[in-house]
Amino acid sequence: MDPWLSVSIRLVALLSSAWAAVALTVQVLWTRGSGRRDYSRPAGSPWRAVWYSFTTGMMPARKESARLHAAEFALGLVLHVGVLTCLLGLGLLVASPTTGIRVLAVLRIPAAVALLAGICLLLRRAISPVLRRLSTPDDYLAILATCGLLACCAFLPVDSRGQLVRLVYFTALLVYLPLGKLRHAVFFFVSRGNYARRLGYRGVYPPARAATE
Amino acid sequence: MPADDKTPADIATAAREALVRVVRGAAAYHLNACVRCGLCGESCHIYRADPTPENLPAAKAAKVASHYRRYCTLVGRYLPRLVGARDFTSAALEELVEAVYGRCTGCGRCGLHCSIGLDVAAIIRAGRHVLASIGMVPDGLQRTVSNQLETGNQMAIPRDELLSTAEWLSEDLKLERGDEAARVYVDQPGQRILYLVNPREVKFFPLSLMAAAGVFHAAGERWTMSSKFYDVTNYGFYSGDDDAARELTRRVMEEARALGVQEVILSECGHGFRSFRWEGPNWLGQEYPLPVRSVLELLEEYLAAGRIKVDPAKNSARVTLHDPCNLVRWGGVSEPQRRVLHQVVQDFVEMTPNRQDNFCCGGGGGMLSMSEYGDRRVASGATKAEQIRATGASIVATPCHNCADQLLELSKRYKLGVEIQAVVELVYSALL
Repeated sequence: MDPWLSVSIRLVALLSSAWAAVALTVQVLWTRGSGRRDYSRPAGSPWRAVWYSFTTGMMPARKESARLHAAEFALGLVLHVGVLTCLLGLGLLVASPTTGIRVLAVLRIPAAVALLAGICLLLRRAISPVLRRLSTPDDYLAILATCGLLACCAFLPVDSRGQLVRLVYFTALLVYLPLGKLRHAVFFFVSRGNYARRLGYRGVYPPARAATE
Repeated sequence: MPADDKTPADIATAAREALVRVVRGAAAYHLNACVRCGLCGESCHIYRADPTPENLPAAKAAKVASHYRRYCTLVGRYLPRLVGARDFTSAALEELVEAVYGRCTGCGRCGLHCSIGLDVAAIIRAGRHVLASIGMVPDGLQRTVSNQLETGNQMAIPRDELLSTAEWLSEDLKLERGDEAARVYVDQPGQRILYLVNPREVKFFPLSLMAAAGVFHAAGERWTMSSKFYDVTNYGFYSGDDDAARELTRRVMEEARALGVQEVILSECGHGFRSFRWEGPNWLGQEYPLPVRSVLELLEEYLAAGRIKVDPAKNSARVTLHDPCNLVRWGGVSEPQRRVLHQVVQDFVEMTPNRQDNFCCGGGGGMLSMSEYGDRRVASGATKAEQIRATGASIVATPCHNCADQLLELSKRYKLGVEIQAVVELVYSALL
């Protein structure tokens, strides 16, 4: 790739990363509000609950939705791990093109697998009458956008043209990230953590015993 | 319903202001995180009974989310169709009433099993808050809140009726316990505890109150009720009216101070416990000056300290336990009632699932006050009915009087043939 073009597109990618980071931080801070101290007397440990919620609490044994919908749960996991890995690879491409190219070459097959999972979930959304009714255009846009990212990582050649397209796509995705459904990438952690802290404070989480005994 | 003198534009403005005010702090986290994966259906007792798209927890949350996106997000403001953002029109508000009051008890089971970890109940309550702020609380529920605010108790029981009930209960208790000191104490200053009860105990199920009085007597407890503010329930919590909820909490805490008690003990009431124990201090914006506990914790303490002696053989029938959502899943009190029941009944059997994973009986969220949703309420108890049937129990203990009402109805409708009892009643039956 032309050095000037390489620097320019990487700079634009950095700016879009900064935009996503700032916009998401502002959103999290706005939603947090101010002065939300809990005046009730605690009965448990919020942090133990957060740990539980992000570990054991996410396992199918403890999460009914994962247990009853094992296929969708597995597809979701594959998709999200694939997307996260590809985003990290693309981040490396911005920071250090040589390393990034090597990493992205390794990620081709995982990206293709994740893409397949994404397509399955897209079809599920499009076919299921319940989900179709529940979905907004943004739901389709979000999964199409992530599938596009995975396709870029899986199938584009590892040459300068491929790099350029990947970086342009990466940049566009980062611009969209804080605006639509994809912001759940951050709010998943905020929401789950907030809920767990609340339940932990009250001694609900972690559960005293398995509920199925 | 909204006040007649308000235009639709006024109502929409008030609703928008309430929404922006209420979502910040917690609900907005969850509103931003839902991915509408649709995996939450089976966690909801209402969806299990009637699996229509409208009953999916994500669909109920989406009703609130659509307004959040419209007024609180950039894309929702400028490209509402892209993100399914909606204005507060009359039709949208009616749909919101149906979703947050008519199709959800706020039991929180869907949140516990959500693939993301959303507090769906917080979203639903934000929706209720918005509707309460524009006067769109269903009539039956609003009447209950008004009763509480105007008379001090949700059933509008006159003070004389409480006093006469306390009097005849005391007479019966004296005979049963053979002691003049065994009685229902009302308005006695300087006692150790202030006992709050569900007015249903005074009006329809006085034996529950008598059982508590009998156990307190056996334990040598110094206790009293207040004739002014004895109601453990808080329907402002259900309706989404934080101002009413705050006022009801304030009155009780003021009364506790005036009577000079050292502790407030809450009778068996799920949402009453949650309201007073967990939400109350936050409504008041300050810590309580004295502890507030469930009577279940007190009963466990009596047994552990040997203050009461019991014989489980006196309760020989098979007993199972229903876990009220607000007490267990939202309140963290799951073990005291079990430890108590293991000591006072001979044959105790758990429902499956239980504790935090229990299914709502269908009577929560103020559903019992909203007759328009009566059929749906009873139908939504089908899962609970099957749970009960599977235990083979003849008695269902439930530490919640709202749940008890619903379980009584479920027993009739689903021909379960079970008796519903409060935990304190079983303790009283087992007293030596």
